[in-house]
Amino acid sequence: MTVIAFQSKLPQRDGPWRSGELEAIVESLAPEHGGGEAGGWDVGVTELGDPQFYLLGPPPHAECILCISRLGRIYVLEDGAGRVLLEHNSLLVLAEQARSLLRKKKTQIAARAALIWCALRESFEEKLEAIMGEGEELLAHFAPQLAALA
Amino acid sequence: MKPDKGKTVSTAKPQLQFAKAAPAAQAVRRRAGAWLKELRGRAGLSQIQLADRLGLKYYTFVSQVENGFGRVPTESMEAWARALGVEPSSFARRLLSYYDPELHRLLFEVKK
Repeated sequence: MTVIAFQSKLPQRDGPWRSGELEAIVESLAPEHGGGEAGGWDVGVTELGDPQFYLLGPPPHAECILCISRLGRIYVLEDGAGRVLLEHNSLLVLAEQARSLLRKKKTQIAARAALIWCALRESFEEKLEAIMGEGEELLAHFAPQLAALA
Repeated sequence: MKPDKGKTVSTAKPQLQFAKAAPAAQAVRRRAGAWLKELRGRAGLSQIQLADRLGLKYYTFVSQVENGFGRVPTESMEAWARALGVEPSSFARRLLSYYDPELHRLLFEVKK
C-alpha cells in the first residue's frame, strides 16, 4: 500500500516571526509611537519556539507594555502584567486592538494632564485674587492717611 | 505538550518605522529573567507547567519575564515563589535587587 502524505491547505504558522507579520505589527503601532507611549520594540521566543513581539515603554525603564505572541494558529495580546487582552486568529485584528489600546492610554494621559493644568490654574488664580484683594484692602486703608499727609 | 525546542531567532528583519530598543535598558531585567529561568530549571518545571501553577491561561507571560522584557508583578511574587519552591521574602528581596536596585540598597544594604 502506498501512503501519500497530503499537505494541509491551512498555512502552518510555527517558527519565528515572518517579515510580513512583523511589518504588519510595527506599521500598525508606529503612528502611536509619536505620542511617546512606546519607546521601541523587540522580539523573542518562548522555550517552545513560539515567537513574541514586545512593545516597550519609554526609556529609561523600557518595560514591555504590550506583548503579541503566536501560539500555533492564534495570536495572543497581553499587557506588561500578563493579563490577556485579546486572542484572535487574525494578526491584523490583534494589531488594531493594540493600537486602539495605546491610543486610549494616550488620551487618558492627555486628560490627566489637562486636569492637572486646570487645577493648577485655578489654585494660582485663587492665590492671585487673594493677593490682589489684600493689596486693594491695604490701599483703601492707607490711601486716606497718605492723602492727609500730602 | 509540545517538546522543548531550542531558542530560535528570526533573521529576517523588515524595514521598520521605529527603532528597536537599546539593549542596555533591559540588561538588569535580563539578569532577573535568567535567574528566574534557573529557579524554574531547578524546580524541574517547563514554562507551561509554571504558568499552570500560577493560574495563567497562556505560558507566554513566563517567557516575557524570563526574556527580560517584563517583570514579576508585586502582587504575584508570592505565588511565583511558591510555584518555584522558594521562600517568598528572599525571592521578593532578590527580585527587588534587580527591579529597583536603589530601593534594595536603601532597605537592605545601608547601615544605620
